[in-house]
Amino acid sequence: MNAIETEDLHIYYGKNHVIKGVNLEIPEKSVFAIMGPSGCGKSTLLRSLNRLLELNEDAKIKGDIRLFGKSVFDMDPIIVRREVGMVFQHPNPFPHMSIFDNIALGLKLNRLVKSKNELKKIVKWALEKSALWDEVKDKLHEPASALSGGEMQRLCIARAIALKPKVLLMDEPTANLDPVSARKIEELIFELKKDLTIVIVTHSPAQAARVSDYVAFLYLGKLIEVGKTEDIFENPKEELTEKYLTGRMG
Amino acid sequence: MVRMDKFKTFLAPFCGLVFGLFILMLIVYLTASLPIFEREGLAIYTTNVWKASENPQKEFYGVLAAIYGSIYTSVLAVLIALPLSISFAVFVIDYAPKRLKEPLMVATDIMAGLPTIIYGIWGAFVLVPILKEYVMMPLYEHFSFIPLFSFRPVTGYSYLSAGVLLGIMVTPFASAIIREAYRSIPYIYREGVYALGATRYEATKVLLGYIKPAIVAGILLAFGRAIGETVAVSLVIGNVFNINPSLFAPGYTISSLIANQFGNAYIYKYMVPALFAAGLSLFIIGLIVNLAGLMYLRRFKYAR
Repeated sequence: MNAIETEDLHIYYGKNHVIKGVNLEIPEKSVFAIMGPSGCGKSTLLRSLNRLLELNEDAKIKGDIRLFGKSVFDMDPIIVRREVGMVFQHPNPFPHMSIFDNIALGLKLNRLVKSKNELKKIVKWALEKSALWDEVKDKLHEPASALSGGEMQRLCIARAIALKPKVLLMDEPTANLDPVSARKIEELIFELKKDLTIVIVTHSPAQAARVSDYVAFLYLGKLIEVGKTEDIFENPKEELTEKYLTGRMG
Repeated sequence: MVRMDKFKTFLAPFCGLVFGLFILMLIVYLTASLPIFEREGLAIYTTNVWKASENPQKEFYGVLAAIYGSIYTSVLAVLIALPLSISFAVFVIDYAPKRLKEPLMVATDIMAGLPTIIYGIWGAFVLVPILKEYVMMPLYEHFSFIPLFSFRPVTGYSYLSAGVLLGIMVTPFASAIIREAYRSIPYIYREGVYALGATRYEATKVLLGYIKPAIVAGILLAFGRAIGETVAVSLVIGNVFNINPSLFAPGYTISSLIANQFGNAYIYKYMVPALFAAGLSLFIIGLIVNLAGLMYLRRFKYAR
């Protein structure tokens, strides 16, 4: 089954036509990479999938996006965002909250826990899942701002997966991290895809090749090519894709 | 480097001047109020008496009622201004149509800069009668068993009138600080909280938590403006030496006391020192409130 499908998706910012008729099928429990040069619309496309784009009043969406067969536009955006978690380019845990409270926040907002014990359990589970538990178990109640960049990003992953989403969107999650922290995040992606579908945006073909099962190449708002990662990398059908992969563009 | 140092020697005196003036003022206040401390000790702050006499032997001053009134009205003002300014800030930034945003903000900034006597006259002739008729009388008639409402509002000049007027006056200040902080919350935190499935109300609550330091700063500024406000308050507080728990009772504030009494103070031997001592208490209250605020804010020193 496909976790997400988009059908003839167009996105406009005012008069700017930024996504031009994109059709995607993202299979369940896979890692799907959207790659392309800066400004090609990949972050915009990603933000439309959990309806986060609608925070921007200038953005207009046409076409359909389906989450497990159901149009997200027929769903409450709050439910969509609960089922489709998101991790951003800049690690953004709330600096005025503790590590624990950052993870507990989404659970409390969505009233997903009934008792304090249950809350503690899920927080611990999410931190273990995101390979952060050992580092923070003794300072759960310290401010999240005391963590390093890589730790903050893993905290954001923990915060997202604590809601047990079916899909996790990642918007260049390693763009602002050092190589060691970036590798930890990539390792985490392998672990996480056992349970959920991951859509990752990256401008790095190398990262797409390392982490993804499927890859879509986006250029100036158009979907140029999409397919299994090894097929695209070994045998790109479009000239633009080949140019991009070999570093002659972007 | 040499040029830099010259610039430094040029600037240093100005810094010294500003700080020196502050110290000088404090010294003047201390020395000018010394005679009253020598005569009465701390009774100037702990008693509620105002005995002016041409015979210095019979003079006695105690400004407790004014201190009580200043704190009472300023706390009321903050309690009124805080919800107003937070709601205003959130509405203007999140909801107001784009064309209205700028005019709304400019309007409040102008409100902040209006001469306070304008509020005073409006307060005395419009606000006080309305409050008396539609708020104080009904509450007194039905709930006078509650101490807060126990005083029969005769004139309408009262702590409540002063508190409400001050609340309106300080709202533009508090709201400007809160609004600017709320507006400058990095977009990544807005996205972050909505991505967790927050409703607009929930997201606003989380984001207000993020700007708590600015809210505390807004409270401090509002309190400082309220406790120092003079003319408008003296028009609506009643100006009587009175200590009463009821919102509807008339009272005094330190600043209105000084403004009302200084004209004839020179006739009496100890009244000028008494007024300086009253001013000194404002100094001290301001200092305590600001220090408390700073201590609280230190807890929020996180990297942004």
